[in-house]
Amino acid sequence: MDERIAPHVEEISRALGNRYAEEIRIELEKLLQFKVPLDEAKRTILNRFMSRSPTSVQVKDLVSGMNSFDITGRIISIEKRTVTVQGEQRSVFTGSFGDGTGICSFTCWDDMSLKAGDAVRIKNAYTRLWNNRPELYFGKRSQIEKLPDGMVQGIEEMSHQNLKKLQDIAPADVVANSIVVIVEMYHRDVPMKGKLLTITEGVIADETAKLPFTSWTPLKGADIGSFIRFEGATVRIFRGLPSINFSESTAVSVISQPEDLPFTLESVSKASDPVPIGKVLEKSGIFDVTVAGNIISVRPGSGMIDRCPVCNRVTQKANCRAHGSVDCVSDMRIKFILDDGTGSLHVMLNCELSEVVYGKSMYEAEKMALESISKEVVYDDMKRVLTGKYIVIRGNSSRNEFGVTLVAKSAWYPNTDLKERISSLLERIEGKVIDDG
Amino acid sequence: MAEREMAHRVFAREFNDSRFQISSSSDVTSQADLHAPNFLVTTAGAKVNRLFIAGVITEVEDIGSHKGGEKELWRARVSDPTGTFTVYSGNFQPETSVFLSTVEVPSFVTIIGKVRSYEPGDGSVFVSLRPEEINHADENTRNRWMVDTAELTLDRLDVFEEALSSGISGMELFDHLSLKNVPSHIAEGVCMALDFYRTDRSYIQGMRKHIRDALFSIESSLSAVSGDLFDTEEFIMDLLQEMNGGKGMEYTELLRQAGSKNIPAVSVEKTVRSLLSEGHIYEPKVGFFRAIV
Repeated sequence: MDERIAPHVEEISRALGNRYAEEIRIELEKLLQFKVPLDEAKRTILNRFMSRSPTSVQVKDLVSGMNSFDITGRIISIEKRTVTVQGEQRSVFTGSFGDGTGICSFTCWDDMSLKAGDAVRIKNAYTRLWNNRPELYFGKRSQIEKLPDGMVQGIEEMSHQNLKKLQDIAPADVVANSIVVIVEMYHRDVPMKGKLLTITEGVIADETAKLPFTSWTPLKGADIGSFIRFEGATVRIFRGLPSINFSESTAVSVISQPEDLPFTLESVSKASDPVPIGKVLEKSGIFDVTVAGNIISVRPGSGMIDRCPVCNRVTQKANCRAHGSVDCVSDMRIKFILDDGTGSLHVMLNCELSEVVYGKSMYEAEKMALESISKEVVYDDMKRVLTGKYIVIRGNSSRNEFGVTLVAKSAWYPNTDLKERISSLLERIEGKVIDDG
Repeated sequence: MAEREMAHRVFAREFNDSRFQISSSSDVTSQADLHAPNFLVTTAGAKVNRLFIAGVITEVEDIGSHKGGEKELWRARVSDPTGTFTVYSGNFQPETSVFLSTVEVPSFVTIIGKVRSYEPGDGSVFVSLRPEEINHADENTRNRWMVDTAELTLDRLDVFEEALSSGISGMELFDHLSLKNVPSHIAEGVCMALDFYRTDRSYIQGMRKHIRDALFSIESSLSAVSGDLFDTEEFIMDLLQEMNGGKGMEYTELLRQAGSKNIPAVSVEKTVRSLLSEGHIYEPKVGFFRAIV
């Protein structure tokens, strides 16, 4: 047996960078005992091991669904909780874990006698999506190695001093510290335990990104244009977008003299230059991003649609999924795929933006549909007008099961100077061609 | 669920030079599953499944009825300044077939399509596009496509050159390129192209020269369309309105005035003809022009 499968083990191992040979052999033997065809067995094993992270990772790189990786850091807090798993009472340990690149939440399924402040290396940990964010998991199948205290940053430093740029706030982060400027701000009353609580919401920015924020305590002295430094703000994730939350435990201070900051209120308020779509796809979500590309496909569902007057859902044949037969409200929208040669994403345009981009008002579109007794005519016309067009879109992107969707806040046809781009490209070629002799 | 394959930008020359088809990327054991997309790896390392092209449709042929069969099959040729894409649209692409059956040639079009290849068996490979979407376009869209495609191709050629000068290949090269933040699909394509085509530096340089020529071709048309022609028109109209007495302005005088502003005689002639046909000016006497006010 051994001799016969050895070359296959070696082949798989080589494909994985000469690792896991022993584990592969065990797995392969097992599958072959079950009479799985050799090719299929090899494929299965390769897939399983491919999804393994090769080496150690850092908190900032955690995404959900990672398996069998090593991570080094410090237990920042830990508490014992009792949960019911399949009808059985069980103790788990949850808390937060940091390594200097970020702080994430973790769950440990077994009592590994850990306490807050321990510097550890965890081998064979994994991540799963929990509360919209990747969470670190480990248990008795993991090995935990206690490290000398000096090898890892201290708790205080991690949770208060590591300032991050907004774009570096990762999905796994639960706590963030940064220096930012407030670009939008308004107050809102929300019912909270029977009382009305005034919260502050808005948008903060630095030179790398913008993010929405919510403050559950009054922000004294802060207004639009204020530069603030915050420490220990909690990060929530909604649709892949982080939002920053200030609470009583957050230290927020207004900075009067923003010295040598690489951004100003003006610089962050402008529409940024278009980002290559390939870069947008790397992130689970970006708040206020600008992309440019060609409309390569106007998707079904664009054109005239009917909505439920109660819940705003799109209705099918005057039937709402939640409210049954309803008097529909007409609406117009456009869904299309934007592609710039580095990647493609879905774009959603609401009625106002659809009118601008399509060049016909909803009233005109409705008339068109009435005259031809079919709503398809609007969709067909949109395809004719839009397919292939070059367009710039600004809005928020988020990842869902269909890929990345960008909900547009504004959209326009750019008027960039091609001549300038041509001359710079020509220069670039000249440089290369002459270099070559 | 599989992510949507993005639409690559590749010039016709690079596309037509290519013949290396692979069924799927991650599949080492070659048992491709049914939904795995097919890719064409181009000579300069683009790994493409879907293309977006903008060009001039120069020829449409109904080859379905040629053979007397009932199958509908349209063949179209769409050219960019470096070469020509061949596009086949059949029964399963009703919308694009209707478009091709009615399109005027020549005209500007944009096409989004999947890469197909055909091997007649003598070792040669013919690559073509099967359109998913096709639409009328204008010159500006075509020009922008050219510039975008030039930029993306030049970026890729730089990666290729980096790969060539590194002297390594295979997984080692892939890791090397990934470390330099090269997107994985390009790193992968470059590694495979290097292996299959043995693409060398002179091919890369040749490609750059083709791109340069292509850019030159639209640069001159850009200045003719948006800049000079319009300016010339304005200049001549201003001049004629100024000298609107008597029998008008003599053509030689017009040429002399234009010459002093560095407007070539050819474009004066072209502009005068278009102004005449549009009825902005008239010729009261042979060789003399007056503006209509």
